[in-house]
Amino acid sequence: MRIEFTLNGRRRRVDVEPNQLLLNLLRDELGLTGAKYGCGIGVCGACTVLLDGEPVLSCLILAVEVDGKTVETIEGLGEGGRLDPLQEAFIETGAIQCGFCTPGFIMAAKALLEENPEPTEREIREYLKGNLCRCTGYVNIVKAVKLAAERAKYLT
Amino acid sequence: MSMSGKSFRVLGERTARKDGLARVRGLERYASDYYLRNMLHARVLKSPYPHARVRSIDVSEAEGLGATVITFRDIPRVRFCPRLVSTPEATYKDWLVLTDRPLYVGEPIAAVAAESEEEAQRALESIRVEYEVLEPILDPLDSMRPGGPQLHETILLGDEEVRVEGNLACRLEVAEGDVEKGFGEADVVLEREYRTSRRYHSQLEVKSALVNPEPDGGVSIWCTTQTIHNTRLLIHEIFGIPTSRIRVYRLPLGGSFGSSIHTNLVVPIAVALALKAGRPVKLAYTREEDMHDHSSYQMIFRLKLGAKRDGRLTAGELDMVMDIGAHQVQAYPLLGCVVGWWVSLYKLPSKRYRGRAIYTNKVPSCAMRGYGNPQTTWMVESMVDELAEAVGMDPLEFRLKNYVGKGDIFWGQGPTVKSVIESCGVEEILRRGAELIGWDKRPKPGEQRGRYRRGIGLGRGFHTSSAGAAVPGTVVDYSGAILKVNEDGTIDYITAMVDQGGGSLEAHAKIIAEELGVPLEVVNIVAADTQTTLYDVCTHASRGVYAGGGAALRAAREVKGKLLELAARVLDAYPHALEIRPDEELGQGIIYARGVEGKEITIGDLTTMARHKNWGTIASAVSFRPGSCPPHFTAFFAEVEVDTSTGRVRPVRVVAGADIGTVINPDLAEGQIHGGFAMGWGLAVLEDTPYDPETGDLLCRGYITDYKVPTAADMPDVEDFKVFFVETHEPTGPFGAKGLGEAAKNPAAAAVANAISNALGVRFYELPITPDRILKALREKG
Repeated sequence: MRIEFTLNGRRRRVDVEPNQLLLNLLRDELGLTGAKYGCGIGVCGACTVLLDGEPVLSCLILAVEVDGKTVETIEGLGEGGRLDPLQEAFIETGAIQCGFCTPGFIMAAKALLEENPEPTEREIREYLKGNLCRCTGYVNIVKAVKLAAERAKYLT
Repeated sequence: MSMSGKSFRVLGERTARKDGLARVRGLERYASDYYLRNMLHARVLKSPYPHARVRSIDVSEAEGLGATVITFRDIPRVRFCPRLVSTPEATYKDWLVLTDRPLYVGEPIAAVAAESEEEAQRALESIRVEYEVLEPILDPLDSMRPGGPQLHETILLGDEEVRVEGNLACRLEVAEGDVEKGFGEADVVLEREYRTSRRYHSQLEVKSALVNPEPDGGVSIWCTTQTIHNTRLLIHEIFGIPTSRIRVYRLPLGGSFGSSIHTNLVVPIAVALALKAGRPVKLAYTREEDMHDHSSYQMIFRLKLGAKRDGRLTAGELDMVMDIGAHQVQAYPLLGCVVGWWVSLYKLPSKRYRGRAIYTNKVPSCAMRGYGNPQTTWMVESMVDELAEAVGMDPLEFRLKNYVGKGDIFWGQGPTVKSVIESCGVEEILRRGAELIGWDKRPKPGEQRGRYRRGIGLGRGFHTSSAGAAVPGTVVDYSGAILKVNEDGTIDYITAMVDQGGGSLEAHAKIIAEELGVPLEVVNIVAADTQTTLYDVCTHASRGVYAGGGAALRAAREVKGKLLELAARVLDAYPHALEIRPDEELGQGIIYARGVEGKEITIGDLTTMARHKNWGTIASAVSFRPGSCPPHFTAFFAEVEVDTSTGRVRPVRVVAGADIGTVINPDLAEGQIHGGFAMGWGLAVLEDTPYDPETGDLLCRGYITDYKVPTAADMPDVEDFKVFFVETHEPTGPFGAKGLGEAAKNPAAAAVANAISNALGVRFYELPITPDRILKALREKG
């Protein structure tokens, strides 16, 4: 089936199978391997991408569902070659260890800050509890999201 | 400044990790992110029974569909051990790549490769297998009893065939001193049984391999591994491919925590398929398959300790039965480590130990961050609290009176790896931690009423940094480093060591930059593989910074010597009078004669001159074996709140102190401790993989929906988690540094368990301390 959608700011037209998952389309066909397979059943959050701005688990979404919509992946984040404040904050606060969960966390945190630019720590933790990390104990990840939120506030 | 009075330029600074940029942009490529044109997709047929014999297997339909199919007949029948860290006399071999005698639900029987995953799955489902279903045995204590099902008739120890009696995989007994006399001198003797759980690593990246068959008969491999060289050695051992034609790439790992110390089965399966198909093959497990691939060791301890009224320990006796599942990954070395962990916590003038590893029809157990140390430490730290209470001493003072510290003999990785402790910050960790948590104000056990009860607990521990020693022993432990200086002053650092995520290689780059006097930015950690690197045993045993960093430092020293010698020629100076300073503006190091104007040259200019004058490449290659395995020490103070209505436990505050020698990456080191606590929390209150006695399969059937690990919402707030470092100087470590990865976790579960006991006045002898167990204990207490 032919679908047409906006992927990281570009119009894309691709042929997909009716049972093809968005995650597999991104990874296997379009070469965007930032979204990761971690469980395939929507538990770990490693495959999080934004669909019309909403965070979704690409392992639970059919590729045909994004027809006519806008998909943003970790590879599309940041503008004009500059990193997104979240990406910068993740590097600065030591929020990255193995890095496998990082793209999912950054995309989920991106959606959080769009929805709620000044989240409390508990709000951050509640929002991100669908993303699993086995390395960091979440401390530096939460610090990174706080730092990015503070900087965004300062900028506006 | 470090404790030794040395000040560092790069070490201890907060710097952005070099791989951070790729990781935040989603451009880091892990094993499953590799694709090759023309590659086939593989699927594995796994035993649905915990114990069976394959009577017949018919793959004709699958082959008719166009798939490449392999069964045990297609792979050399070489019994092997997937972990090659120990020497042959300490290595038991009982594995086959594919088997006709499956011993756990999920054991690979056959595998297929086809043009797509869907076609591979279809082919897999068309394979007809007739099984003779055998009686399984799931409980290790039942498994030891005579007359029951036997899993292995014989296994290999090195190359020698040995009979297996009573499913006893291996055993170890160690004794020192007169134990009876020791207990006779004690005023208090406690004896308890402790049980831990079978946890799943739940590393975010599932096991994966991509194999390309090369025209020369060799293979190229992109896979999840903590050791590229041992992966290569194992593929050579099984398939007989010349080692130099096996190319295993060093890749980032999406977490591992011990689950890829051994070569994961996906690797030889994908190799066999690729060789047969003559095409690249990719095999990536699903999460459910991954959970049927590896688990931690479950341990059942019987511990007896004696102490005098003044708090001094007199004797100890430990009997351990360990459920290792269906195969040995590293059970025998672990038996040695458990006694090592046990006797290196507190001084025991006399001690006796018996450890037995037992086969069961369960997923094979392997190391999981701490390698038995978290379990052992929970046991000891639980009993130490009880002993302190029995003799009327503050548990913290009791620990200070008995701990193994500077000048004492440390059993490192067991009875074969002993060394003398040369740096130790235990006392300062305990004193500062106690102050920060408010140890003196903690409640008396059991004094609280009401629904929510809070308690404070202490867990103290350590881990070895590497498995180095003064003598060879039975553990291989050495690392390699290659350094090349480029014509623009940049440095290529080439190592086989895999970074599990903790930042070991980042630490190496800092060590090199520190030694060479160059900006950190010019040290490049270059892509590498088995063909282009020196041997490194494995990233395990918290050896990344200590052993790998030791190799990097020595390589840097050699390169520095060569640079100074060549610069001396050019500058008409003496090499020993020259120094190197970083020039941030030029972005490289400058070699100069102190106090003499104009006598200087950049490393880039010198290297370029060396090229034009045909002096050759300025480079070094060093293979380094650490002569010691110093312990790094940690302690956790945890405050928890128990909801006595639901049995749920919540962490309120954590204070963690660590002595890791010189701190190289402060934020990453803190991160290790944060993550270690989360994993320790899981061990203490959450994680287990129980089996269904009816099916012999995991009760959760591999779905992580039913395997809860801590989430962000379960952990304390940032400001309620304090980490501090007590800086010591380890004379055998690179710039005084030691390891951290495992002590960052080891005593965390003990602290949590002791905090729960402090809150409720009830002790728990089985992990995890679930809400059910808490409610039951409260009911029994009345």
